[in-house]
Amino acid sequence: MTVDPITLQVIQARLAGIVQEMQNSLFRTGFSTIIRESQDASCALLNTKGEVVAQHVVLPLHMGAFPACAQGVLRHYQPSEINEGDAFITNHPYLGGSPHAPDMAVLTPIFYRGVKPRGGHAPLRGEWVGFAADMAHKSDIGGPVPGSCWSQAREIFQEGLHLPPIKYASRFEPSRDIEAIIGANSRTPELVIGDMRGQVGAARLGERRYQELMEKYGCDTVLASFEALFALTESKVRREIASWPDGAGAGERFVDSDGIELDKPVRIHVKVEKKGDGLLFDFTGSAGQTKGPANIRPTVVRAACSYCLTALVDPALEINNGLARVVEIKVREGSVVHPYFPAPVNTYNPTVHALVEALFEAVSQIAPHKKVADGCSSRSIIIGGRSNKTGRSYVQYEIFGGGSGGRSGKDGVSGTNVNQSNARIAPVEIIESEFSTRIRRFELIPDSGGAGKFRGGLGFVREYEMLDQEARFSLRSTKHTIAPKGLEGGLGGRTGWCALNPNTAEEKIIPSRYSDHLLQPGDVVRLETPGGGGLGNPLERNPESVLRDVRNGYVTREKAGELYGVVVESANGDFALDERGTQQTRKAMQSSRR
Amino acid sequence: MAKYRVTVDTGGTFSDFVFFNEDTGEISIAKVPSTPKEPFQAVLNGAKELLDKGVAAKDISFFSHGTTVGTNTLLEEKGAKTGLLVTEGFRGIYEVMEQSRGYGPATYDLFFEKPRLLAPPFYTEEIPERVDFRGQALKPIDVESSLQAIRRLKQKKVESIAACFLFSFLNPDHELKIKEIAAREFPEASLSLSCEVLPQIREFYRMSTTVINAYIAPVMSEYLGRLEQRLRELGLTTPRLYIMQSNGGVATFESAAKKPVATVLSGPAGGVIASVGISQRVGIKNIITFDMGGTSCDVALIHEGNPIVTTQGRINQRPISLPMLDIHTVSAGGGTIARIDAVGGVHVGPDSAGADPGPICYDHGGEEVTITDANLVLGVIHPDRFLGGRLKLNRAKAEKLLEEKIARRLGLSTLEAADGILKIINAKMEEAIKAVSSQRGYDIRDFTLIAFGGGGPMHAGRMALDLGIPTLLIPLTPGVTSALGLLLADVKHDYVRSKLAPLKGLNLDEINGLVSQLTEQAKKDLHGEGFSDGEIALQPFLDLRYAGQGYELTVSSPMPPLKPADLDLIRRRFDAQHEQAHGHKAESEPVELVSLRLVSTGIVPQAKLSPTTPTGRKVEEALTGERKIFFGTEHGLLNCRIYSRKLLEPGHKFPGPAVIEQMDTTTVIHPEQEATVDGYLNLIVKEKKT
Repeated sequence: MTVDPITLQVIQARLAGIVQEMQNSLFRTGFSTIIRESQDASCALLNTKGEVVAQHVVLPLHMGAFPACAQGVLRHYQPSEINEGDAFITNHPYLGGSPHAPDMAVLTPIFYRGVKPRGGHAPLRGEWVGFAADMAHKSDIGGPVPGSCWSQAREIFQEGLHLPPIKYASRFEPSRDIEAIIGANSRTPELVIGDMRGQVGAARLGERRYQELMEKYGCDTVLASFEALFALTESKVRREIASWPDGAGAGERFVDSDGIELDKPVRIHVKVEKKGDGLLFDFTGSAGQTKGPANIRPTVVRAACSYCLTALVDPALEINNGLARVVEIKVREGSVVHPYFPAPVNTYNPTVHALVEALFEAVSQIAPHKKVADGCSSRSIIIGGRSNKTGRSYVQYEIFGGGSGGRSGKDGVSGTNVNQSNARIAPVEIIESEFSTRIRRFELIPDSGGAGKFRGGLGFVREYEMLDQEARFSLRSTKHTIAPKGLEGGLGGRTGWCALNPNTAEEKIIPSRYSDHLLQPGDVVRLETPGGGGLGNPLERNPESVLRDVRNGYVTREKAGELYGVVVESANGDFALDERGTQQTRKAMQSSRR
Repeated sequence: MAKYRVTVDTGGTFSDFVFFNEDTGEISIAKVPSTPKEPFQAVLNGAKELLDKGVAAKDISFFSHGTTVGTNTLLEEKGAKTGLLVTEGFRGIYEVMEQSRGYGPATYDLFFEKPRLLAPPFYTEEIPERVDFRGQALKPIDVESSLQAIRRLKQKKVESIAACFLFSFLNPDHELKIKEIAAREFPEASLSLSCEVLPQIREFYRMSTTVINAYIAPVMSEYLGRLEQRLRELGLTTPRLYIMQSNGGVATFESAAKKPVATVLSGPAGGVIASVGISQRVGIKNIITFDMGGTSCDVALIHEGNPIVTTQGRINQRPISLPMLDIHTVSAGGGTIARIDAVGGVHVGPDSAGADPGPICYDHGGEEVTITDANLVLGVIHPDRFLGGRLKLNRAKAEKLLEEKIARRLGLSTLEAADGILKIINAKMEEAIKAVSSQRGYDIRDFTLIAFGGGGPMHAGRMALDLGIPTLLIPLTPGVTSALGLLLADVKHDYVRSKLAPLKGLNLDEINGLVSQLTEQAKKDLHGEGFSDGEIALQPFLDLRYAGQGYELTVSSPMPPLKPADLDLIRRRFDAQHEQAHGHKAESEPVELVSLRLVSTGIVPQAKLSPTTPTGRKVEEALTGERKIFFGTEHGLLNCRIYSRKLLEPGHKFPGPAVIEQMDTTTVIHPEQEATVDGYLNLIVKEKKT
């Protein structure tokens, strides 16, 4: 059956409305700070093959995970075992498709009984037509450290409780047994169970809306429109790829370390081959699997490739399975991007950032129209313990960005997330009201953006003081030793840095991945996040832009002279450009470079 | 002499006026071209129209105004040179903002930007001071440093200052100290304190709201000052000069000048309040408003007579956390463009042909097919009667381009393609309606759709059928609905004070103390605006959440002093409201108080809109002709009777298919529907009984 183009667009608008509604419900009913303040959660609708039909994009990596989770369910359950009112869950990176244990997926099967005949009854068992799904980060799912992401894990068995695809609810009732098991394995059982129920609620909402959609437009039309929507997305992407010249490009980036071998950077390498309207992403040149948790599963690799393609082709692309059809990847078993079970995977984000940056570099050699220097990657801190006030365990989990890289024609953005990361920062007033920490400092770091014709964005500093109790601190970061790269003559961004009790006799520098440091009352933790790389020769930066940066405190006067060759005078609390001095300085710098 | 109430809503193209004769209850309307460079000029021009009819200026007893001055200042970034004072060490709050990009396409956009800082770092000063989460001063404010900071801002010729310190919603002393110092050192600068603008937890949202206030305050204050002066020069003597606010209430000029951030939705709020007024007269309580103009459409929900309010509004990505009517806007209007992409996908919007070049049929050089062109091709719009015949439309050209650019490529007839375009835009607007209704747990079948704006009455009939909304109401003057709302609004102010505490075992003495502080402040403010105790209504609310949740629900509270039994009632209300909004409740989970709120209303004597008495004219006498309109492939091209809106009388009833024409819009009655005219000359459209 074919669906006319008008009905197709109408159904697409309806699907977008449904996933938006699921997402609103999830954000608003989430219990943990992770869902509610950081918004680390996503929603999607899938067909019975587990292909994504529509999704609300909050975190692009979650999106790649949905099909893998659905396929996990389909491997473990026969269609005859899938019933209305069921809810499946999984957080298993190998048996399901979760990036790591804290990301719990909920999938509820959708059944369609047809339009109720007048005066009659709908059939008892409807036709199974798809899944409503959502995925949300859990504050703690057990394991050695609060938050479950142990930087020194050597097997996934040290990364918390893992659930293969299992039936969490049947006949619309959650299983008390499963909730009891999860609750007994989490430091924050109420938050985890509360969030899971919120997830089921959001998925049920998706189910109802999907059924209503079928009632209105007919089951066959809706199902046929999925295929047509896939085809539209696929041909849009292929058409753009076909417009690029055939050829190949390569990119390489390094992750600071895997958390165990601290002075061994992890290589991510990609070769991109473009032929006709197809792309092959070949990661076989990447490092072997790591001892520590820097590995990522091929599902995540795929999602990262989809992210890059969308960014390059059309950020407003309707994302569905049609995009996945274009992405062809080659990975080597036993490598960091395709580890053997049970290699640890909990700190996947630094690896994905390196992979995304390598991809942009490789594709830019084929299609050089959108250039961007490296950004800050992402990082999280976890401060966990048992509250003096309530006696309950708590997990304070925060996610931070830094500066983004300079871009063709534009400076990088300061204090932002980059690439596939997109978490909100938690308010200081909420953190201090709920946890036993005080934030002492939160500001951008001058000169942290890589110098360039288009300057990198700035990183920022967060400084915490422990108040009246002990707590355990973990950091999962990157780019503390390897700086965000500049592009086309732009300089690299400033590296990240973390220290305990900085500027005191007890100062202790914490490596970018570190778990379970014991903090005492009065201890101070200072985290400085990386700036973005610059794009283009700093000597070509408009001196007025450099002056503006000096006035705003983004670049110091010293660095303006040293890196940009721009002479800025300070007078009466303001700054002015010394145009002649600038010309001379730049001329001298240019000739000494030659 | 009769007394008159005058209201004016300034729009982008026209300023709409409603003149209400208090003695006869008669309403007349006027549209005057807007004067964007000097917005008050259009206001004066309209007022003069009334005076030219022989009304004495002293007989104008009430003047109320919906203005876009605040909104445009913000959208066009033409506000004051603004300085910002923050807690030492916390410049990052304003610059990092939320850290996240938007969701959806923004996540993938390598070239995304944050909104520009309205108070740049060069005009930002750090003040040594710190208050903790209990409201205790950890570090007292350093007066000497504050003085120096303000002097530096003065030297930099800043015009307006915002101050927002951590936890100032619990302890405003340090911000108040700034007020004292600024009054001494730099009295000519406008000052906005976060503890006065929005004493509410979550520092970035409070700061963003306060900075926006500071940024637009000098502009708004000058505008209102000049407007008042000119109105006085015209001879107006009434003390009742009001501005519409985003919360759906009006404020005196003086209070709007102090808190202009509360007026950013001044325009669209009027339409929602008009709907409330119309519904009260007609006796319906649950309404969805649908206002479709040239570039966008605004929808809002009114439940049990109360418009839904949000505290998570945004203008151009910038958060404003003051309570404002929850108006959902989508890019869908008469000028919205339809096109086919390279792979054959049809796209309608979000971009618009705007007023220039406008739709193809305007013949001003527009080459892109728009919604207006589609409506013209379908026969909904008559080419010679658009805007009362002021603009002749080129139907042939619209048809030709629609055929070439859309129909041929889809393999459809021109009519089918035009109908398809409407189906897509309708689907988008219907999703917006669902976003404010069914997505929040309301049953759409309990609601009446009120459609206005130039495009609302053309599209609403089809949309009501699609959505299953049983009743559609088209007000008498759909084109000036916002101005009508200004006639019906009361004065309304919001007060908030954040206080995090478990609901169970709440310290009632403390809470009652805080509420009575808010109450006293509210009364003082309204007394100052000329209201007596008998004209003041107060309603307290509590923002509550399940412990650990991130978003609060605002629950109405009994009047203080609260007693322990009241807490149980509040708890039950919260559970019920949570279930209504999110589909589930958790009665065994602890609940936390986050903020106390108070809404104060200064009751403005209502304009008495009375029903119209029919003259006995027959419905056939309102017929002006017939034309063919295409109603999709289901119905094809049907002959429609054309009625003149101004000839319709209460009691008139006629079946679809039909169109009703009036100067400001065209209403379409679908073949499945029938229309009646009620006592207030509203058109009521329902599905035919089968």
